[in-house]
Amino acid sequence: MAVDESGQAFTHPLYNVMAQLPGVSLGLTTADQLLTWGASNSLFVFPMATSCCGIEFMAAACGRFDLDQMGTIARGTPRQCDVMVIAGTITVKMAPRVKKLWDQMPEPKWAIAMGSCAISGDFYRDIYSVVPGVDTFMPVDVYVPGCPPNPDQLFAGMRRLQEKIRMRRNGEWTEPELRPETFGFKSPNLPRIGDPRREASLDEAQLDAVINLDPGGGLRRPDPKGSL
Amino acid sequence: MTVPDDVTRLLAERFGLESGDPITVSRDRVVELGGALKEAGFTYLVYVACAHYPATDAEPDRTVAEYRVRRLPVDEVAFRVWVPTGESTPTLVPVFAGCDWQEREQFDLVGTIFAGHPDLRRIMLPEDWEGHPLRRDYDIATRHHPWR
Ligand code: SF4
Repeated sequence: MAVDESGQAFTHPLYNVMAQLPGVSLGLTTADQLLTWGASNSLFVFPMATSCCGIEFMAAACGRFDLDQMGTIARGTPRQCDVMVIAGTITVKMAPRVKKLWDQMPEPKWAIAMGSCAISGDFYRDIYSVVPGVDTFMPVDVYVPGCPPNPDQLFAGMRRLQEKIRMRRNGEWTEPELRPETFGFKSPNLPRIGDPRREASLDEAQLDAVINLDPGGGLRRPDPKGSL
Repeated sequence: MTVPDDVTRLLAERFGLESGDPITVSRDRVVELGGALKEAGFTYLVYVACAHYPATDAEPDRTVAEYRVRRLPVDEVAFRVWVPTGESTPTLVPVFAGCDWQEREQFDLVGTIFAGHPDLRRIMLPEDWEGHPLRRDYDIATRHHPWR
């Protein structure tokens, strides 16, 4: 059984025919395992490092800890990357940019929320300009808690992601992961991605904001209140 | 920091102002004072800072803009202007070019309006933001759809 991008199990019609032929099923299984092994061991990361957690990410990527040893090489463009590591506080102004970069990454892709700021906004979550968790606008696969998480914890997160990729490819993991509800928010509690209470209009509004983002800065839409 | 003697003299003779840290100056003379200080050697602008003061019995709702300038290596002078809400203070960009982005930032966060500023747009918050968040009357739970 294979699993598509949305986590649904599917079987190609040819698969059943081919699986009857001698030796084919063995070959398919082996190829699938080989692909999964390759995918989980060459995770190119896109470091979305916006604040102090970014420094810890850099420490993890440097000689003493050496993130490269598990095939996670940092690239500067979303188009070459498999994993986005969101390391730092995401502000309201940054959020559409992060979502745009996420949308530019090719499938299959995964996201790691590193640090309490990316997970829930941390102690900035009630500040006027901070997004209360990146999973309010993009799906997150692994949460790495800490303020900041030290490099070992990031390594544990990467290992967890590798494990999760293998389990998903083997069809052992189908349900989306939801982080526990955070209580005591003063800020608006946006339903997270994958939450049944989340309305489609919110997704549409976020996508609309991303599409209307002007690369030169500013909005393409005319300012409703005029300048000043 | 003590105000240097030549600045105290300049303030008394030309502006009729008391020296102090900071010096309080009226809105119609702030550009002149900035120019005079620059001529006296204070060429380095350290910061522009604003704060909001809600209305009291004695005073209307107002903001204060403070400029701090430095004469290298040691002398520093700060001067401030009071700006009632809804009115503006002249910009100091023609005197200190470094004021440009700092005044934009103060406009963005506190809402002080600098008249004659070449490009008074928001600099830190998103372009479609409403209100000025560092004002005392700003509601911290204001929503910014669709991100929070
Ligand atoms: S979680 Fe802590 S270390 Fe990480 S970005 Fe937030 S404040 Fe900084």
